[in-house]
Amino acid sequence: MNFFLKKLLIVVPTLYIAWTVVFVTLNIIPGDPVNLMLGGRPASDEVRENVRKNLGLDKPVIERYGSFLINATKGDLGKSYLTRQPVTKMIKENMWPTIELSIGGLIFGVFFGVLFGVFAGTKPNSIRDTISMIIALCGISLPSFWIGMMLIYIFGTTLGWVPIVGDGFVSLILPSISVGLFFAGGMARLTRSSLVDVLNQDYIRTARSKGISKYNIILKHSLRNAMIPPVTLLGIQFGLLITGAVITEEVFARPGLGQLLLQAILAKDIPLVQALVVYMTAVYIFLNLIVDFTYGIIDPRIRLERKNQ
Amino acid sequence: MDNLLEVSNLNTEFKSDYGSKQALHNISFKIKEGEVLALVGESGSGKTVTSLSIMGLLPNNASIKEGEIKLFNTNKDEIDILTLSDEKHNEIRGNDISMVFQEPMTCLNPTMTVGEQILEVIIRHKKISKINAKKEMIGLLELVEIPDPIQRSNEYPHQLSGGMRQRIMIAIALACNPKLIIADEPTSALDVTIQAQLLELLKKLKNSIVTKTSILFITHDLGIVKELADRVIVMYQGKIVEEGNVLDVFERPKHSYTNNLIQSLPEFKIEKRNKENIQNITKSDNEKLILSIKNIYKEFPVDKGIFKKSTETVKAVQNVSFDVKENKILGLVGESGSGKSTLGKTIIKLIEPTSGQINFKNQDISGFNKKKMQNIRQKMQMIFQDPFASLNPRKNILDTLMEPILVHNLMKKNEAKEYISQIINDVGLPSESLNRFPHEFSGGQRQRIGIARALVLKPEFIIADEPVSALDVSIQAQVLNLLETLKETYNLTMIFISHDLSVIEYFCDEVAVMYLGHIVEMAPVNKLFTNPKHSYTKALLSAVPKVKTKKTNKILIKGDIPSPINPPSGCVFRTRCPNPGIECTGGDIKMGLVEVEPNHWVDKCCVKLD
Repeated sequence: MNFFLKKLLIVVPTLYIAWTVVFVTLNIIPGDPVNLMLGGRPASDEVRENVRKNLGLDKPVIERYGSFLINATKGDLGKSYLTRQPVTKMIKENMWPTIELSIGGLIFGVFFGVLFGVFAGTKPNSIRDTISMIIALCGISLPSFWIGMMLIYIFGTTLGWVPIVGDGFVSLILPSISVGLFFAGGMARLTRSSLVDVLNQDYIRTARSKGISKYNIILKHSLRNAMIPPVTLLGIQFGLLITGAVITEEVFARPGLGQLLLQAILAKDIPLVQALVVYMTAVYIFLNLIVDFTYGIIDPRIRLERKNQ
Repeated sequence: MDNLLEVSNLNTEFKSDYGSKQALHNISFKIKEGEVLALVGESGSGKTVTSLSIMGLLPNNASIKEGEIKLFNTNKDEIDILTLSDEKHNEIRGNDISMVFQEPMTCLNPTMTVGEQILEVIIRHKKISKINAKKEMIGLLELVEIPDPIQRSNEYPHQLSGGMRQRIMIAIALACNPKLIIADEPTSALDVTIQAQLLELLKKLKNSIVTKTSILFITHDLGIVKELADRVIVMYQGKIVEEGNVLDVFERPKHSYTNNLIQSLPEFKIEKRNKENIQNITKSDNEKLILSIKNIYKEFPVDKGIFKKSTETVKAVQNVSFDVKENKILGLVGESGSGKSTLGKTIIKLIEPTSGQINFKNQDISGFNKKKMQNIRQKMQMIFQDPFASLNPRKNILDTLMEPILVHNLMKKNEAKEYISQIINDVGLPSESLNRFPHEFSGGQRQRIGIARALVLKPEFIIADEPVSALDVSIQAQVLNLLETLKETYNLTMIFISHDLSVIEYFCDEVAVMYLGHIVEMAPVNKLFTNPKHSYTKALLSAVPKVKTKKTNKILIKGDIPSPINPPSGCVFRTRCPNPGIECTGGDIKMGLVEVEPNHWVDKCCVKLD
């Protein structure tokens, strides 16, 4: 556990650097937030001065930076210029649909990715390998808006199997497939190559010499050893999803963080953008920790190495 | 004795993009119940393909074209293995026939505890409850002499040493009381002392197994054959060239290949040389020193992560001093982990010594910086162990050999070409090879290129780090002959690092025996080999399986080499010493060599014992 304490200690400076970069960039970008807030409406200097005071923009940069950091650690990331709501509240509201979609995509992606990967990897250079890999390549390369639209057209409109919009589990199916296909494609390719590699290892030959069945060789001896590269990919891709899948949200008219970020950027709502970036860096760091932790579960060598440090 | 396995007319071939290549030609042999049959040959002779054909574990691109492999049951039913389905074959694998592989480092699943890996095979074939299987597993670990079997069974392979892992492999192979165990070079990757321990274990098992288990022992080492086997089959290029009782084959080899194989053993070459010319020893003794190292220490800090300061060190080389005389070869011998390679690299300053003096041609180079070393490097070169990994695969041979010449500004490019082709001829390769790339050469040829690379700078002093360990016996002999000729023509002085005592005996003038960073004994070759003084040297010498000598009582040393991070106090060898004295354990004992006879140096600790 010592290892993870160390990792957690590194989280603090990482977040600090990320937040500072966000703050500095958004302050360098030209454009007066007051003008943006007023949305181009004419206003007297007095009004402008008032708004500025309200937003706390009259204070020197260093002070604003300081209070931004202090408030951020307290979990207060300010109010949106546009809606005047606390940004954390806005993020919270949009977080759940995104998490739902991400987990849906994750389940779909991992299930089909590993399935196709194992299917292909256990018989490399065969017809089934080639076909599986072509499907995986399609999953990676077909744009998700097109997949989303096709899914809606086929399963929603023509066949009428699933609702296109609405709440609940059923309405999550199509969007999950839409984001999960990309996921599945990458997982399948990586699982395959990693599995091919593992199946050529000496210890697999040993297992075969013990008379272990093909099924058990793959399940007990190969998969676990082959899982490190796919898990790394999983962490990265899940991070992408959980910070918002703009296009899928747009196509399926779902709320979510992707949508929120898009709107915030277009409206130059600086506190909201700032808060979203803070959220995303934190999520990435957290996911990385989980991936690191998973390595230890998969491979006892990594676990023991950490213990010895 | 009844036959257990009959292989007849076996033809196995490999398919590749370039067409098919036949690996086995009409292989026929029988294994009797309870016998140890050795399969001997060089790499590529088809030994492993034969065993994998029996196991049904051939790689996908290999197929059996023709032949029959019959296994005889206890009721004398015969099973034709080759016609079995994979499921039926799985019933036999691990149960009737089991296998021990060569590489203990990679042959066990890194994500399962060793106990689980033994349990698995017991439960698979004996169909007994997990609790009973666990009892059997612990019994097996005791049988293969693993200390603390219960605790060890919960450990993962990487926590065990190579010798221990190979014992685990043997336990797996023994688990279901098989009729036949195929052991494919089971000791080749291990140190000679560990090899001796395992051979002793196998001998014990062979004598104690009541169930008449037969062993098919695959090896390239004729000494092991002599020690362990009843009968021997010699293979060459996929064919059986000779078969017979071990004693007959060694004493009266019928096939010229077998004869050559035996004659190329260092022990035979030494005998031959001793018969031929005794004046070799009385050669004019040149006493000029070329290298003299004094009190060399090399310690590596142990990496402890970012937050902790490293307090422990790996004590790789401890207080080593010796001289090398011009035109002589000093052999450095010891188990892996004894610090031989580190010492070699430290002398040539590929790594900096922690302290001590390196006097090369009357200059202390230990403090030299990179710039100053540049000129010295030209005079000191190194030949590396792995001829496969130490040549850049993207560079052709000419470029590889040209680079050092240009770096040292020895000559112009067009002059160098001629010079290089002369060197490549000297190492026994045609000039055309210069335009080729490393992968186009065999192991032996690559090592010749490695030697040429060291020679192009016209060095006076060469450190050869296990230059022949990766090569087959007959190729080994060729490369050693080459090095000997080159030593004369180029007037070279050498440090020759090897774990192979017979190679050292054949090739070197003086030997230094290393253990855990210390030199424990140093003497001229004939003195050390005829009259070893240190217990470690004695054990090392007796551990080597030899074809010639009659079976004598072996001095076995226990366990593995301790960690150089926490070496034993007092004499570092005391934990494995066959007869340690009380005085060896004292913490205040400082190790150091004393001269017991002229030029024969032994560590103090063992001198007291005598």
